[in-house]
Amino acid sequence: MSTQLDTAEAAMPPPGHDKRPRGPEVDSFYHLAGVDIDHKFCRGLGCFAAQHLDPDRWRKAMAQWPPVFCLGKCYSAPSSADEENQPLIEIRCKDPIVLAGVPGGEVRSLKDYGPYRALEKARAMPPCDVVSEIEKSQLRGRGGAAFPTGRKWRAVFDQPGPVKYVVANADEGDHGSYIDRYIMENAPHRLIEALAIAGYALGATKGVIYLRKEYPIARAALEEALTEARSAGWLDPMAFDISLTIGQGSYVCGEETSLLNSIEHRRPEVRARPPYPFQAGLWSKPTLVNNVETLASVPWIVLNGGDAFAARGFSTSRGTKAVSFSSLFKRPGLYEIDFGMSLRELFYEVGGGLKNGDFKAVIIGGPLAGAIHPREFETPFAIDELAAIGAAVGHGGIVGFDDHTHVLDLLAHIFSFGSQESCGKCTPCRVGSRRAEVFFWRMARGDKLKPEERDELRAILLAMRKTSLCGHGSGLGEVAQSILSKFPQEVPLCLA
Amino acid sequence: MPRLSINGKENDFREGESLLDVIRGAGIDIPTLCHDDRLKPFGGCRLCMVEVDQGRLVTACTTQAAEGMKVETHSSAVESLRRTNLTLLAEGFPADEPLNEHFQFQRYLLQYGIGPRGARSHEFKDDTHPYLRVDMDKCVYCYRCVRICAELQGQFVWRAWNRGERTRILPTRTEGVSPAPDCRGAAADQAPSMLESDCVSCGACADTCPSGAIMDKAIAEKGVPKVWTRTTCPYCGTGCEMEMGSTDGEIIVARPLASAPVNKGHLCVKGRYAHAFVHAKDRVMKPLIRKNGQWEEVSWEDAYHFTASRLHEIIDKHGPQAVGVLGSARASNEENYLAQKFSRVVVGSNNVDCCARICHGPTAAALKASFGTGAATNSFNDIEVAAAFLICGANPTENHPIVGARIKQAVLDGARLIVIDPRRTELAAYADVHLQIQPGTNVAILNSIAHVIIEEGLVDRAFVDSRTEEYDRFVDLVQPWTAEQGAKICGVCAEDIRRAARIYAQSSPAMIFHGLGTTEHSQGTEGVRGLANLALLTGNVGKPGSGENPLRGQNNVQGSAHMGCEPSNLAGYTPIAQSAEWVEEVWGRPVPREQGLNWMQMLDASGEGTLKALYAIGYDVYFSNPNSNQTRESLKKLDLVIIQDLFMNETAREFGDVFLPVCSSYEKDGTFMNSERRVQRIRKAIPVLGDSRPDWQVICELAAQMGFAKEFAFESPKDIWNEVRKIWKAGAGISYERIEDGGLQWPCLSEDDPGTTILHRDKFPLGPKAPFSIAEYTPTKEVTNAEFPFLLSTGRTLFQFNAGTMTERTPNVVLRPTDTLDICPADAEELGVQNGQTVRITSRWGSTELPARIDDRIRKGELYATFHDPKVFMNRVTSNYRDGKTGAAEYKVTAVKVERI
Repeated sequence: MSTQLDTAEAAMPPPGHDKRPRGPEVDSFYHLAGVDIDHKFCRGLGCFAAQHLDPDRWRKAMAQWPPVFCLGKCYSAPSSADEENQPLIEIRCKDPIVLAGVPGGEVRSLKDYGPYRALEKARAMPPCDVVSEIEKSQLRGRGGAAFPTGRKWRAVFDQPGPVKYVVANADEGDHGSYIDRYIMENAPHRLIEALAIAGYALGATKGVIYLRKEYPIARAALEEALTEARSAGWLDPMAFDISLTIGQGSYVCGEETSLLNSIEHRRPEVRARPPYPFQAGLWSKPTLVNNVETLASVPWIVLNGGDAFAARGFSTSRGTKAVSFSSLFKRPGLYEIDFGMSLRELFYEVGGGLKNGDFKAVIIGGPLAGAIHPREFETPFAIDELAAIGAAVGHGGIVGFDDHTHVLDLLAHIFSFGSQESCGKCTPCRVGSRRAEVFFWRMARGDKLKPEERDELRAILLAMRKTSLCGHGSGLGEVAQSILSKFPQEVPLCLA
Repeated sequence: MPRLSINGKENDFREGESLLDVIRGAGIDIPTLCHDDRLKPFGGCRLCMVEVDQGRLVTACTTQAAEGMKVETHSSAVESLRRTNLTLLAEGFPADEPLNEHFQFQRYLLQYGIGPRGARSHEFKDDTHPYLRVDMDKCVYCYRCVRICAELQGQFVWRAWNRGERTRILPTRTEGVSPAPDCRGAAADQAPSMLESDCVSCGACADTCPSGAIMDKAIAEKGVPKVWTRTTCPYCGTGCEMEMGSTDGEIIVARPLASAPVNKGHLCVKGRYAHAFVHAKDRVMKPLIRKNGQWEEVSWEDAYHFTASRLHEIIDKHGPQAVGVLGSARASNEENYLAQKFSRVVVGSNNVDCCARICHGPTAAALKASFGTGAATNSFNDIEVAAAFLICGANPTENHPIVGARIKQAVLDGARLIVIDPRRTELAAYADVHLQIQPGTNVAILNSIAHVIIEEGLVDRAFVDSRTEEYDRFVDLVQPWTAEQGAKICGVCAEDIRRAARIYAQSSPAMIFHGLGTTEHSQGTEGVRGLANLALLTGNVGKPGSGENPLRGQNNVQGSAHMGCEPSNLAGYTPIAQSAEWVEEVWGRPVPREQGLNWMQMLDASGEGTLKALYAIGYDVYFSNPNSNQTRESLKKLDLVIIQDLFMNETAREFGDVFLPVCSSYEKDGTFMNSERRVQRIRKAIPVLGDSRPDWQVICELAAQMGFAKEFAFESPKDIWNEVRKIWKAGAGISYERIEDGGLQWPCLSEDDPGTTILHRDKFPLGPKAPFSIAEYTPTKEVTNAEFPFLLSTGRTLFQFNAGTMTERTPNVVLRPTDTLDICPADAEELGVQNGQTVRITSRWGSTELPARIDDRIRKGELYATFHDPKVFMNRVTSNYRDGKTGAAEYKVTAVKVERI
């Protein structure tokens, strides 16, 4: 077979299954296949917002091919792959859950992390009870969709075996977010332990961590931690083991079915549902896919009980949340906080407000999550409350925009990213995102759209929102809708 | 039944149906581009969006119908979104392309009044292929070509490169010998052209393409056919149903029938495309009589008069035993029935046979002896049920491509696969175990597998006790055949034999397929029975997904013998002694009781001078018989050779005295019988060409000329068939009316009998128990030595068919220009032979010359040659040895030497 994915330990299909050939056409899907990440400049949203801090570097990022969308260094945006300086990491809540030990790297090695006490405790419980604790915790997925984690676990648990998989989605592609990155770099055993607990509870014998290529340090940390866990007997190739698959540059691989296709070396298009991954996921077997931060809550929940987790939080958002601030904030960095504080409190008290000037807008949770206008800053930071104003907690990456950003440039940039990352499976996203991008570039340049062009753009954005196959296309449509409606004064034509 | 409402109207649906199924079932048309019933739902084009429960938008193709749903298919919101997405697709479609309703996407553009706006660009275009035209300017990225190539054909030629707007669909070429993309890791890359790609020309991509980006060249050049006629493919024994497209009496292209149980909307290169022979310039259109060594055109009256009087002379002088009749595996059941009736009633002899003699004669004999019925035990629809396959001496992806594709899909979906074959066939590349045995050692390997099954306690004891006999003797027989012994004789690893035995015995149900690689041996019948032994040992008989299933080589080879073109059996494959009285009652004429000669015996008799006349219908015996030199000596001695065919074949050219020109199956009605005992209709798609006539008419007219007008007073094929049904009890229920919409599988005893998909469910025709066959392995006499160091097997290729009569007269010659001698790289190097270099191949029996083709699927010391080209005449080399039980020729093993010229 050709180069395939760059896998530390390839996730292999069960014997006798899936002999379909895959060739270089699958590699050609990824923009970083065979590309060295060194010396690359980042073109993510955080770097876009901070381009005026280092225009020369931003020019390089825009000129470079292939592009790199978010290196997870938004705290020093505009960033490059060659610089490595850990951001400020702080616990801003009582009793941290996901970032415990992360700020100082105190639990990086197995020696420091200690025995997998949560796993030991889980293994002393009937698997069903472990699932019940997750249900009780009311934990919701931290990767963006905020789906109740316990329901996912229960669905996989209820599927007949014997072969099941648990997969960690470590493809933290949402710009502005470097949360999973530091959990993996500084507390890799927390993730490994969580997967082992999931494996035990759901009856899976194999776990896979799907990690993006843009995170080489996390890769090294995970590889070392996996080796440690194996030699300490926490992982056992005969019972439950974890392999690591490295992505090759594709935003849509963060979508769980694309991610599964990618592990299988298939073209990572979104799969039509049903069947859902819990029914037919990796290699068509029942599969749990959880994001890294979600899984990082699991050991705490097992040790302290689901009720203790559910006792924390705000409204329908239980537990704690890690958030990361981009470089335009005075205190860019990574924080674990409680849900429920107002956005104003979050942006000013935790993030310290902007370095220069006033907020024009804030985007939380990646480029497709919708913009927040300063007049909405009284909204509580919580999942459903943000959804109600057309925004999201999402992944938790917070990108601030000051007066240097014009919203048409922002739209053009987001659509340029969006069309380049479209998988190409569905019509509105494959063709529509590119056409809309061209319209936005023209508008940003000062072109006036003809009335029929304006109608066309409006129809495209509607079709993207309403008919896209996955959140990529519909998210692009939504973010355009959100920005155009919240910043009408900057858009020459009424498009919203 | 659950219900939902569509546009305010209530509709029933079945559990598991998609919304699209239900909507279409209700007669409502909604546009879709990426959907094809043959493929898994994709949800890519987003045109089939409908509104569910007031406002929720879903794609109908990927949404399961649910009780109480309220569906709006054409609300203004939905229609406007559809229009937007169609407009987006039209952006890239060439503005100057004349729109044609035949193509789905173009039809939608016309329907919605959307004008394409794209320019001609530099997307992939290809005109190298004889049947396909590609213009990716027209691609709408529905991925149907990619998916149908993967999900139906399993060829993976069309693949999607890059992503998003830069996605491009391009053909693939895999290193190594096409058409065998090697799943085990041969490097694949973009192919420079279709002709150089891995394409097997099945045409499924053109069939499914909704935009015209990939289209049939025939349609591009001659337009969409005006008439589509449902019929059955005239090539292999799979029996694919198709619609033959024609315009004004000219055949254009075929398309598969979606509802056909055998091919389920799929066809291969031969069935879909290889029919230009019908209109070939050298097709014989007038009867001919050879006068003073030269063929002369005559009237049908003169031809009949000449033939009848010569036959009368010979019968009068030498008796009916001096005449032999050969039915045709290419002709219909009705015509084969008439051929044997002609022999038995008009001539008065049982000297009647057909080409099953030299192919699956051993199968019929062996399966009859083992199970009581000489035909496939199961159906092709069992393929998707089987947990494992054992394929012995068959190369279905080339010779029965639709069966091959279905097996390949099952294996890709996780079914286990064992292949016993001297060559690494395409399926062998996908196999869990490939037993690459030395040619001629089938019985040894099968006994060895049986040994392992017994030794490791994998026998289905309950089945063996209740439904088999002679088990203890069988245990004694295979006792010495340890895996090591089998490995030694067959030239494979002992561990592989054990693995094969375990997979076959432990994957339930397991299904056996075999082909001519099992039968065309001196122990052909024993080989088939050896496979039957394995099925009996493991209880793989009489249940879905199991059994032993021959892959019959020609469209109606099952039917020709079954209709009585067999010296010992009358119609229904019943022994003469058993059914003669009843047949005499139907015929009103005596049935001769004297043992007839089979075809090989006829040839011997001709050599000895006792057979004087041969009437060969649709069968080029000289070209296809083994050891041509001896065949020629025998045929030379005949006083009268009557040839009934479309073309001046080799037998006619050399020995023919009278030539009766007949028409193709596209020009007549009738029935064929496929490999799985299914009787299916063929229908007249175009008028009979020239002065040719259907075989049935010719036989009837010749019989009438000889004084048997009453016995052959048939008005139509249906008339003939109704007489067959009177004689053949197991086919009595199969009426033309019942098979109008698809065939029936015998036994089918009455008109309310649904037919039989699986034989031997509870008992065997022989009784409650089936016997194990006790056959010791006997090596072939064709052995290598210093002079003849190679073992040669002969067989077919995907693109050509048997005597080449049909395919050699089609553009298939572009895809496979000539016969080749396939040789492994190491042997080629030792002999100093280059790819394509013409070499001489010589056996103890004869010699010929043909180009070498270096092929790493061949083992060292072995060779494989195709036999389609009369210029090569491969049977000059093959031997005189025959299966001890049935006389089938040993085409698969000949010791030869190879020399450079």
